[in-house]
Amino acid sequence: MKTRKLFLIVLGFFLLLESGALADGDDWRKLNPKEKDSIRRNYERWEKLPPQDKEHLRQEWDRWNRMPQDRRDRLKQRFNDHRRNQD
Amino acid sequence: MENHVAPLEGACKNYEEDLVLFYYGESGAAEGAAMEQHMAQCGRCRNFVDDLGRVLPQMAPLPELPQPFWDSYFRETIAKLDAHEARQRQSWWRGWFQPLNGWLVPTFGTAVVAALAIALVLEKNDLVSFIGTPSPNIPAEVLVDSNQLEFFKSLEILESLSTLEEQDGGKADPKTSDILDRRAAWSLA
Repeated sequence: MKTRKLFLIVLGFFLLLESGALADGDDWRKLNPKEKDSIRRNYERWEKLPPQDKEHLRQEWDRWNRMPQDRRDRLKQRFNDHRRNQD
Repeated sequence: MENHVAPLEGACKNYEEDLVLFYYGESGAAEGAAMEQHMAQCGRCRNFVDDLGRVLPQMAPLPELPQPFWDSYFRETIAKLDAHEARQRQSWWRGWFQPLNGWLVPTFGTAVVAALAIALVLEKNDLVSFIGTPSPNIPAEVLVDSNQLEFFKSLEILESLSTLEEQDGGKADPKTSDILDRRAAWSLA
């Protein structure tokens, strides 16, 4: 009986800690609906890409992260300008 | 100073109880006469009665309890009986929880902790955003990984990265595949 009670108490604390961790780590819910929609579409697209394209995009991601911040900002600005022109 | 009381000497087994009653003067006339007649012949029983006279006065007398004590004692007893009957009447629903005896407190505690855990999750964002924005097809490990979320958010830029760099005057990555180039060109067109 004592073991079961102890198990329940430990389970309770685990639930508490786990929920805190989930709540802290859930960046998804911090995104706005537009960002969520964009991520969802991109993920679905990503899933359909062939492996070599996936590998290429991973390399591009590494390269993107290695770029200086000002260059990234400039490229992002250029991309957004193109997108706005397209719209 | 300690009061040592010598133990009583044994009397005849058949007369022992009657001798006590005789001592207290609670024997009937006939029994009293029989006791006196027996004691005239039996030294042990005579000594026993003498010892009673010596020992019993040294024993603490029972305190005389006042009448209010007995009145309240009676009232308390009646109240306890009433409470017991009331519990008996209520026991039909208590019987449902009988199997949970010993489990009620931990079960209740776990339920409270679980409710607290859910509240902790929900308090970060409001209930509508928690329930109203499902993320179908995206695995949980992606949703909780900010790096992966950023990757998928930037996917379109990554696809166009070489083209963007060319337009920016930088050096494009020679590994860019034709497919991605076409897609990038299409997205930037």
